[in-house]
Amino acid sequence: MTAAITTFHPPLAQPGYRLFDGPLRDVADVVSDQIGVVGMPSDWTHSSRLGTRFGPEALRRATTVLQSIRPQGGSFDPDTSRHTAPTADWLVDCGDAEITAQDVDATTEAIAAMTEGLSVAGAIPLALGGDHYNSFPACLGYSRGLAKRAPNARFGYIQIDGHLDFSDRLGAWGSHNHATNARRISELPNIDVSNMVWIGITGWVDGGDLALIEEQGGRVFSASDVHEIGAAEVMRQALAHAMQGCDEFYLSIDIDAMDAGYLPGTGSIVHSGITPRQYYDMLDGLAEAPLGGLDIVEVSPPLDPSERTEFLAAEMLFRILRRFRTQPVTGI
Amino acid sequence: MPLRSAPLPRMAGHLSFMRAQTKAICDVRPGDLAVLGVPFEDTSAPYAGQSLAPRALRETSVYFGWHANPQFSHPVDIDARQDISTDGLHERLCDLGDISPGPEDAIHAALRAATRQISRNGACAVILGGSDRLSETVQSALPNCQTAQLGGTLRDARDFHIAPLPNEGGTTCTLDTSAQRAAFSGWRDGSKPLFVRFDLSVFETSLSALCDRPRLGGCDLDTVVQWFELLGQQEVSAIMLTGLNPNRPGMGVVKVGQRLMVTALLAFIYARLGFGIDHPGRLTSEENVLT
Repeated sequence: MTAAITTFHPPLAQPGYRLFDGPLRDVADVVSDQIGVVGMPSDWTHSSRLGTRFGPEALRRATTVLQSIRPQGGSFDPDTSRHTAPTADWLVDCGDAEITAQDVDATTEAIAAMTEGLSVAGAIPLALGGDHYNSFPACLGYSRGLAKRAPNARFGYIQIDGHLDFSDRLGAWGSHNHATNARRISELPNIDVSNMVWIGITGWVDGGDLALIEEQGGRVFSASDVHEIGAAEVMRQALAHAMQGCDEFYLSIDIDAMDAGYLPGTGSIVHSGITPRQYYDMLDGLAEAPLGGLDIVEVSPPLDPSERTEFLAAEMLFRILRRFRTQPVTGI
Repeated sequence: MPLRSAPLPRMAGHLSFMRAQTKAICDVRPGDLAVLGVPFEDTSAPYAGQSLAPRALRETSVYFGWHANPQFSHPVDIDARQDISTDGLHERLCDLGDISPGPEDAIHAALRAATRQISRNGACAVILGGSDRLSETVQSALPNCQTAQLGGTLRDARDFHIAPLPNEGGTTCTLDTSAQRAAFSGWRDGSKPLFVRFDLSVFETSLSALCDRPRLGGCDLDTVVQWFELLGQQEVSAIMLTGLNPNRPGMGVVKVGQRLMVTALLAFIYARLGFGIDHPGRLTSEENVLT
């Protein structure tokens, strides 16, 4: 008699990385209050140093790696001094939008269609760049979705960035590129410039763009403001300004506001003096805020052979998404 | 006057420092800032690649060529909340190109001759190195100058060394800016022009990354900018940038070193040209018209 031989096969994993090792699903399957991830692997709307088209994949890998080394069960969070446990089904990765190089309209509509679908469903679109232009189509879809979900709702806007990105045009790149994304967002129907806030701007900026923002009531916090006022207080003031008369806000995280000494893997580096700690303090200040949608852009893995840029950026996502990915545990 | 009348891609076209006009050395005029590249390296340096620094510095400087680009309005220093006037910059900043390759003696001779001629013309040479050994050649061409040195290794105890850490001999300062400035005032002989040696190693190494000679505990950008605002108000015959190696092993794509140097150098250029502040180096409006 021969004994039956049984061999255990663990479930096969989906190929490739998903953000936070979350499940891969279609936009139509995302439900309210979930984070819906949209990749935007496009860098052809950047004017100089490329490589951000590899950003979404790098962020997916880095968040998965960081997730794997964090406690898988209940744990003590030293940043909040709270006991927490992971939340189930809080995030789904919807894959990448279809990028059509040399066709900005097609790319814009492809990204916007995905974030609109998520926003209509009441989910929170999280778009992974890509250069910062892609923030506009991500926000465009969010804006359209918000208009369908809540026709009279207004949204505020916070952009953490080393640069204003408020130009109307940039040379041969025209009106749709990584220097115009905030300007294009300001033209959406359910936002006012008076609810737009920039944080971390440093060095030289265009005087005309700055004047236009401030004349319309927008608020600009420089890197020096972050140092002098404090990261947490700057974000508190920024959120209060952005939320005046608004129901929720959109957050655009351009990683390049961090000093290039810490984070060199991005196209338009600055020496702002802003440290990772200050960045995380700012994002911690938004952890409980009414986030309607967000993007993280300008991660360019080829520009940082050490790979620390993508891990610093991944940690930004851990911070801003804390209340989604964990829940407090009582009675411990 | 803008270099071009229509917007162009910022990184395209002829590469000159900050999109400055190019000039022959004989056309350099009093009050000019004349940029000169020295794309050579020391073959005993720990890593190869310093000869690529002049090109890297010019590439990064293009980002600040606002005066040459009509699509931008005036720049604002957002950290200081100060408007920056670039009027007149195009008339007074020029790029002479690089010293030509050749036998080592010929390179030193050409650098010495160029430095002397720029100085004789009453201009300030902005020399983009390259090996810091070549700064000794520049120094030898300017025998009447006092030498102030940011970073690098102090070779002459008579020089003023703005170094973040103590070194042997010489006038060395701590990071206490007011003490540094007092020491500088005491050292400075106003009857002599200055030669400024600016080595990337003045910066904290964790910020600069591309420096062959790391200096842990170095300066931050603000501190170096403050020094250049002060030095730019002096009579300066030449400033030489050294220590940048854009080709550090495994770091060839990281641009932080050149960005640090160019950002700091801007403070010198603006102070030297007298934009926005009232000091002896500033031209009167009448002089602006004449130049």
